[in-house]
Amino acid sequence: MTAENQKPTTPFRVAVFADFVCPYSFLAVEQIDRLAREYGVEPMWRPHWLHPDTPPEGSPRERTPDADAKAERRNAWLKEMAPDQYARMRYPGKRQYSFLAFEALEFACDHGRDFAFKTAVYDLMWTEGGDIGEPETLMAAGERAGLDPAEMQIALHERLYAERALAAVNQAREIGITSTPTIFLGRTRINGWTYYEVMQQVMEKQGMHPREALAS
Amino acid sequence: MQQTYIVDSANAPWKRSSSEGITFACQVLLSGEDGGPEALRFRFDDCPSVYGHMHLTSQFQLLLGGAMDFPRGVKHLEALAIHYTDHNIPYGPFAVSGGHDMLVLHPKAGGIIAMSNLDARRKINLGGRIFAALATEAAWQPLPGVAEGTFKLLMPPDYGPAAVIVKAPAHAALAMPAAEFGRYEVVLDGSAIMEGREIGAPGFRYTRGENAAEPLLTGAHGASVAFLTFDRDVLAGGITGEALAVEAAEAMARAI
Repeated sequence: MTAENQKPTTPFRVAVFADFVCPYSFLAVEQIDRLAREYGVEPMWRPHWLHPDTPPEGSPRERTPDADAKAERRNAWLKEMAPDQYARMRYPGKRQYSFLAFEALEFACDHGRDFAFKTAVYDLMWTEGGDIGEPETLMAAGERAGLDPAEMQIALHERLYAERALAAVNQAREIGITSTPTIFLGRTRINGWTYYEVMQQVMEKQGMHPREALAS
Repeated sequence: MQQTYIVDSANAPWKRSSSEGITFACQVLLSGEDGGPEALRFRFDDCPSVYGHMHLTSQFQLLLGGAMDFPRGVKHLEALAIHYTDHNIPYGPFAVSGGHDMLVLHPKAGGIIAMSNLDARRKINLGGRIFAALATEAAWQPLPGVAEGTFKLLMPPDYGPAAVIVKAPAHAALAMPAAEFGRYEVVLDGSAIMEGREIGAPGFRYTRGENAAEPLLTGAHGASVAFLTFDRDVLAGGITGEALAVEAAEAMARAI
């Protein structure tokens, strides 16, 4: 092992600011999960609330020629950017409410299961037709992530994490997050979805190498 | 070495073509084959998704007609607008609509490489710049030294590359400093006399060198001219002997 390949003594910071309702953030989930596996990092998933005006029950999608044209473009872009994931995607029929999922993310964080939980939430919403504005969907995600759904239900019902989730949303705003996802890889900030190969380059420029390469 | 090219776009032939299933008409205005600039004009047919790609040199796109929509950054461009990228900066996928018409202006041959190419993704210029702006969002300001002349800045003054639109009445001399890294001077409206030739929209002059080029002279009905100036990024990238560059050059040759 060369000096360059040695792991830094402080953990390499990876943070992703994203909203569960953002399709481009869904595309980033698989990439960030892969990054965690390949580089041995522990990414933090933080909320960036895209549509605070959405009511808890969600809001119907606009059905106008202009909105349909936008949807056609977006679908074509998603397909081009990540064809495999696009094939699994089921675009929700309404704009869903994110904030309850942010509260559940804080709960998961306290139990050390936030990383697995966020993947489960995205999967339920984007590939299985789940509504993340519903506590039941979040409890199902929690169970998949190894959390106690009954405990989560109480936390959501009592709004035990509402204040913390709001503080996290405000923190994202204060540090100037405007794109979802916004990805911090060490010292580098990436605004918006990008290719995995770009993330690899950014990691390696900061002395982070895949575990497989270090092992050999 | 001083370089000057003058192009009368109105007299260049159009060709129908396609790239990766995207159909368009194009004019090859400058081929770049002599080591000089490469300039193309594209009219894409309406399309929800032109594939993500990059060029291996700096690029100004000047949107003359229609609209382009992007998933990231400045999401909606409508003519008149500019889109600038450093070498090896990917952009797209993007949608084109509404009678798309665009000049693609390179300081040298830049090829084209689709971002589905994994090698290309590893060659992305991580520190590179990307910028887009609509002309309608910039304010006109009085042009010093030209009565009734006005100008607007399309890029922040200290950005590096520069984009300025100048509007001047008939017979005004539009002098610009030397363009060390190259500058396109595109007639948007009216006509301009360049080295003795009267050129209408969207013809242009490309100039590069240590000496300032002869001032453009606006025609009998005045002119609007976009001055698009490159910076040091032009020194990087290009069609080298590397496999990716060869592939990019071949892809561009097939497309046009």
